[in-house]
Amino acid sequence: MAPTPDWVKQLQPSGPQGHELLAAERACSQIPVEKLSELIHTKEVLDRKQRVLNILKSEKVFDKSQNYFAGRIDRFEAALARAKKLTNLRIKHGWTLDEYRTANELISEPGPYGLHDSMFLVTIDGQGTEEQKEKFLTKAEKYEIIGCYAQTELGHGSNVRGLETTATWDSASKSFIMHSPHLTASKWWIGSLGKTANFAAVMAQLIIDGKSYGPHPFIVQIRDLKTHEALEGVHVGDIGPKFGYNTMDNGFLLFNKVKIPHHSMLARFSRVDPQTNKYIRQGSPSLVYGTLTWVRSTIVMQAGSVLARGVTIATRYAAIRRQFQDRDAPEWEKGENAVLNYTMVQIRLLPLLAATFALHFTGKAMMNLYQENQKKMNAANANTESKRGPGPEELGAGSDSLADLHATSCGLKALSSTIAAEGLEVCRRACGGHGYSSFSGIGSWYADYLPTTTWEGDNYMLTQQVARYLLKSARTVISNPSAAATNDTTAILSNYLKRSEIGCAFDVLSNDTDIVQAFAWRTAFLTFEASKHRDEQKKPWNDLLVDFYRLSRAHSQYMVVKNFHEALESREVSSQIDTPTLGILRKLYRLFALHTLEQEGSEFYASGAVTVKQISLARTNAVMKLLKEIRPHAVRLVDSWAFDDWVLDSSLGREDGKVYEDMFYRASELNPLNRITVDPYPTSSVLFKKVEGEVGRSKL
Amino acid sequence: MMPDFTDHLKPRYDGTATLQAERAGSNIDVDELAHHLLSRDGFLERQKKVVDVLSRDPLFKKDQQMNLSRPERYHLGLARAKAIQRIVRREGWSHEDYKMCEYVNDEMSPYHLHMTMFVTTVREQGSKEQQAYWMPKILNYDIIGCYAQTELGHGSNVRGLETTAKWDPVKKEFEIHSPYLTASKWWNGAMGRTATHAIVVAQLLLPKKGADSEGYESHGVQTFIIQIRDAKTHQPLDGIVVGDIGPKYGYAPMDNGYMLFDHHRVPKLAMLSRYAEVSDETGAFTRLGHPAVVYGSLTFVRGQIIMHARLVLARAVTVAVRYCTIRRQFRDRDSKSDQDEEMKVLDYPTVQIRILPLLATTFALHYTGELMYNMYNKSRETIEKGDFGPLAELHSASSGLKSLCTMLAADGIETCRRAMGGHGFGGGSGLVGINADYLSKPTVEGDNWMITQQVAAHLIKKMTEAVKDPSAPPKDPTTELFQFYLKNRKHRIPQSVVHNSQIDDKAIVDVFQWRAADLSYRAYQARVVEKKPWTKLMIQLHALSRAYSEQILVTTFYNSFSTTTTSTLSGPTPSVLKTCFRLYALYTLDTFASSFTLTNAVSPDSIPALSDAILDLMTELRPHAVKLVDSWSIPDFLLDSALGRSDGKVYEELYDLAHRRNPLNRVTFNPYWRDEEIVLGSGDGGRGILAKL
Ligand SMILES: Cc1cc2nc3c(=O)[nH]c(=O)nc-3n(C[C@H](O)[C@H](O)[C@H](O)COP(=O)(O)OP(=O)(O)OC[C@H]3O[C@@H](n4cnc5c(N)ncnc54)[C@H](O)[C@@H]3O)c2cc1C
Ligand SMILES: Cc1cc2nc3c(=O)[nH]c(=O)nc-3n(C[C@H](O)[C@H](O)[C@H](O)COP(=O)(O)OP(=O)(O)OC[C@H]3O[C@@H](n4cnc5c(N)ncnc54)[C@H](O)[C@@H]3O)c2cc1C
Repeated sequence: MAPTPDWVKQLQPSGPQGHELLAAERACSQIPVEKLSELIHTKEVLDRKQRVLNILKSEKVFDKSQNYFAGRIDRFEAALARAKKLTNLRIKHGWTLDEYRTANELISEPGPYGLHDSMFLVTIDGQGTEEQKEKFLTKAEKYEIIGCYAQTELGHGSNVRGLETTATWDSASKSFIMHSPHLTASKWWIGSLGKTANFAAVMAQLIIDGKSYGPHPFIVQIRDLKTHEALEGVHVGDIGPKFGYNTMDNGFLLFNKVKIPHHSMLARFSRVDPQTNKYIRQGSPSLVYGTLTWVRSTIVMQAGSVLARGVTIATRYAAIRRQFQDRDAPEWEKGENAVLNYTMVQIRLLPLLAATFALHFTGKAMMNLYQENQKKMNAANANTESKRGPGPEELGAGSDSLADLHATSCGLKALSSTIAAEGLEVCRRACGGHGYSSFSGIGSWYADYLPTTTWEGDNYMLTQQVARYLLKSARTVISNPSAAATNDTTAILSNYLKRSEIGCAFDVLSNDTDIVQAFAWRTAFLTFEASKHRDEQKKPWNDLLVDFYRLSRAHSQYMVVKNFHEALESREVSSQIDTPTLGILRKLYRLFALHTLEQEGSEFYASGAVTVKQISLARTNAVMKLLKEIRPHAVRLVDSWAFDDWVLDSSLGREDGKVYEDMFYRASELNPLNRITVDPYPTSSVLFKKVEGEVGRSKL
Repeated sequence: MMPDFTDHLKPRYDGTATLQAERAGSNIDVDELAHHLLSRDGFLERQKKVVDVLSRDPLFKKDQQMNLSRPERYHLGLARAKAIQRIVRREGWSHEDYKMCEYVNDEMSPYHLHMTMFVTTVREQGSKEQQAYWMPKILNYDIIGCYAQTELGHGSNVRGLETTAKWDPVKKEFEIHSPYLTASKWWNGAMGRTATHAIVVAQLLLPKKGADSEGYESHGVQTFIIQIRDAKTHQPLDGIVVGDIGPKYGYAPMDNGYMLFDHHRVPKLAMLSRYAEVSDETGAFTRLGHPAVVYGSLTFVRGQIIMHARLVLARAVTVAVRYCTIRRQFRDRDSKSDQDEEMKVLDYPTVQIRILPLLATTFALHYTGELMYNMYNKSRETIEKGDFGPLAELHSASSGLKSLCTMLAADGIETCRRAMGGHGFGGGSGLVGINADYLSKPTVEGDNWMITQQVAAHLIKKMTEAVKDPSAPPKDPTTELFQFYLKNRKHRIPQSVVHNSQIDDKAIVDVFQWRAADLSYRAYQARVVEKKPWTKLMIQLHALSRAYSEQILVTTFYNSFSTTTTSTLSGPTPSVLKTCFRLYALYTLDTFASSFTLTNAVSPDSIPALSDAILDLMTELRPHAVKLVDSWSIPDFLLDSALGRSDGKVYEELYDLAHRRNPLNRVTFNPYWRDEEIVLGSGDGGRGILAKL
């Protein structure tokens, strides 16, 4: 293609320029962006990001400009090159784990070392004995062996107990035989397995003497350390392209009677005695639930900022995008309206903006709870002996805080990742046509985030665990209504029981605390309804799944509202931020809560927490008023999430508002398709007349 | 591929047997229902004919598409577009056959705009002479066209376009010009690399009238047909910069383009002049006749979008239903025996509630699509007779329905995909491409949020009329409904649609209609009586449009039961369709419960009974699910889905795709970070990939 001619280079967008529009937006609000950023992220983290970012930007391999164009193999190859470079940089700059994680976060694409760095190391560390750690962990930390976590199979994901891969103890050779009896036993979806790993932590059914003991973890070598070819009897590869996550080599793995030594089975909690061939259980695996809870809490923690990326892009763009004059604008008022001024756009974006903060504060609270709980457990755990079996949500429901924490993390993982995933798509669509371009930066981010709704517990499945916990808590409260509440859940349940004869009257439209109460009331109401169905009427579990789903959703929404409210009332927040800003955060709180309340109106009404009139007023008055009040602060609020342009990689979301210039630049200068001249006529079989430089050729 | 030990492995449960058992469990006559749904214009036979030919041609093999880069996808898209033209000629196929090729080939072809917007615009807006000149060239593909309306800065607001066409009274030419960067044409399909000609929509600038006035004034947007590339070299003409806008969420094979003009001159004839003309002598602008036909064709396009939405949703539901009967996970929690098999996930209500209402929705869309089709044909005749009256009603209905139906389909695909857990995320789901491509639909042909304002404006107007003269003889069903509403609004008793677990179909229709009428009345109150600002009302107006469109879906579905074609279907089919009607209606009612209670359509106390009624309906529908999706007759070639295959060989196909047809597995990588080499044995120190960045 001919170089861009001068007359094009001189063109500018019409009307007020993007940077002027954003400057005007920023001028109409007093929110201290830096202060608010520090409240969200802390100064330490912001500095760390900046430091790491400067290093990444200076390395060619992290250049993002071709990401949106490349095919699967090139994407993967680049991702592997980046993963290697990052490991180099980590050594070179002596990065801490936090810094290394920050770097990955800033690059924001899944990389082929991803599962090695996380689940592989964690599994050995958490479930291996000291000798096993010595044997595997030391090498793994140096990347002399590279691993992955192979649990899910072609036929089973959610139902881990149904896994088909077997590890049969062979007493003669004192070794295990790994085997895949069916096609559906093939490991599947395993990150880093497809092309990268040479070891795997494999979950397999342990079989001794024909008897199955359930799934256990084994550390298995799968590829030769030199040639990187699969070992004898091992069949391994990449599962192919996906909706997103295409920089990751999710893999499959099959075994044909592969013998592995006794020490392969991670033996901190259970082992096979090589002398007696007996299965021996030792220690408490409840720490494993601790890990699960940690992973889920992290998902909750991240959901806010995951969503904030989309909200930042869409909000900035909607402030710059101008379309139509206001229908009611007076004749003399010239110029088109920013689409962010249309309530139709506000109702999609501003509740999501509120949700970013709601999720953020909830995530922080979750993390704190987790850490407190770890401390308690470590103190208490030394000598308890509990059996593997039912999860903690059933064991200590109603009394113990681990159970509460576990259930809460399940429900919040489901709710927060659903809000974030769906919210991103709402943001993308709110951008109109340009949202559909890869350069919006939302599409690929959304596609890569989507599996979060499925892994670490499918979002629908998880709600059953929450319901189980709430049912159990209801039983505790019903059986002893006068006992003192042991945690928040029993507190709201017994409060409801006590008042069920008197009823309630919550002033949700003018009292912030009453809003929390109303959410609690609805949760308690739904809990006792579920308990009536299951415990009194003995309805089959499966018939109640939809009710359970709604119950869990209600409970999690209550948690989010409560945590957001508590955060805003806390010293920690009020000491860091000025009063007017705090006032705006309160408005975000109200917007999030009332918008949710209005959406779920019929449950609130059915529980008696609010009247039909209140719902109607929330919808037509309160929410509308809040949109209007928050609108002027929208750009500063997203600014305070402090995403660097390099991270956003978006034409629409640029901090300087040069939306159109950047769209044009990427299309005309970076786009390899424009180096091709085609023959367009159907009668000619020539496709490309002329190709300048290197662009991919067809490979059918 | 070398043989290996995995060649003989079988899945634990046999998918083929599972689907057979499902099919044996229902007495629906699939062929009969398929014909009921899809017999218009020989759709089923045509589909079969075209699939037979394309699926045998290696160029139309779909399994590598997802591995290709953007330039490769375009390359492939162009190759297929050309091949289809040659096949059509070779086989002597009709235009309908050609459209079927595009449908089953299932990707946005670089020729797509040529045979849709480009040819339609010339046909509808060109004068007789212009048509005589251009049409043969277009139909013969001597030129290849596109439709350039949207610009970088403007899409929804067409009147705000910035490209200008300035009349030069001396040379009798137009000068096409892009005064700003935001005037660049943008998003226009087939323009990036393929087209030789474009329909360009630009502001017509004419010298100001009056002896002493200077300068130019705009006469609004007009359409021009303009050559943009040289017929031989295919290079852009002088004064034109044109190219592809880069990768998108979907639409990979399509070269959506950008284009800028530098005082580019075109002859007077370039302006399409059936409805508007610039005089040679005086430079005066005259409008000729009524361009209502243009709205007509827009309405037609939207009608087709709805018919298409039904098939798109049916496709997603087909995949989800078949896979979820084959996928087993967990034994029943209440099961007493270790020997019980694991449950099919479609037997879990939390899976059903995501998929079965969508299955019901495919039928709701169908009957309304039929209605639109008939309405369009009916009013086309009256338009040609010069009566534009019915168009407003039709146009307004079509906007609201376009918005609702494309949203239901777009969201439905994603709901189905997520209901399938991990495998739904994989390339083998067959829902990745369709999801990404279809997501353009909520935006194109009228942004789904924007166009609901047209519906609302129309309804407010109707309500105003009805209030003024509540007893005028009603011209259409909407007025009739509004008059009924106005008569009864003072003494409305909120209804319930379930009485002692009996469902009242008449009441269902009543509450949907009442809600739509009440929301119309409120909008009328707010805008006309209280004079509230339009912008403040938008959210309310959007909700109104949705409610009104849902009312159409429900009413039309209900009315279909009194037609003979539906009621004479054999076996359980009529009653299963009724179950679909109820499920769609109750599910919608439950989802938007507070909108129904706040409008006094239903009583708040009747809401809690809905969840159990919905569960019961799903239980009724469940045994027929596989046969219902079979009736939509989506060929495996089009499904392109391991999970949705009609023979149930889900796991075999997933494995085959991963193991035997995955190019990544032909490369061995070097995983150690100390070695800069990326591809093992390449020894290039990582420079290969670096060069591509
Ligand atoms: C990108 C990606 C990366 C992954 N990486 C890894 C990895 O590194 N290692 C690894 O081991 N795994 C990995 N996984 C797998 C992931 O953990 C599983 O996909 C997840 O556990 C869900 O299981 P499934 O896919 O089998 O879904 P299924 O269990 O088959 O779910 C299908 C549907 O059935 C429903 N369902 C199932 N059981 C019930 C029930 N009892 N009641 C009601 N509804 C039910 C679900 O809600 C869902 O809608 C990855 C997955 C993805 C998508
Ligand atoms: C895949 C694809 C193919 C296309 N092909 C073509 C083609 O071949 N030829 C062509 O000419 N064009 C084409 N287009 C462009 C398409 O027609 C426009 O994108 C569409 O009209 C929407 O306009 P926009 O992008 O300017 O959205 P905008 O109008 O900028 O919308 C942005 C946001 O503002 C909101 N909004 C805007 N105005 C108002 C208002 N008054 N009140 C309330 N809310 C408002 C919208 O709802 C949306 O959320 C294509 C687009 C895509 C995505």
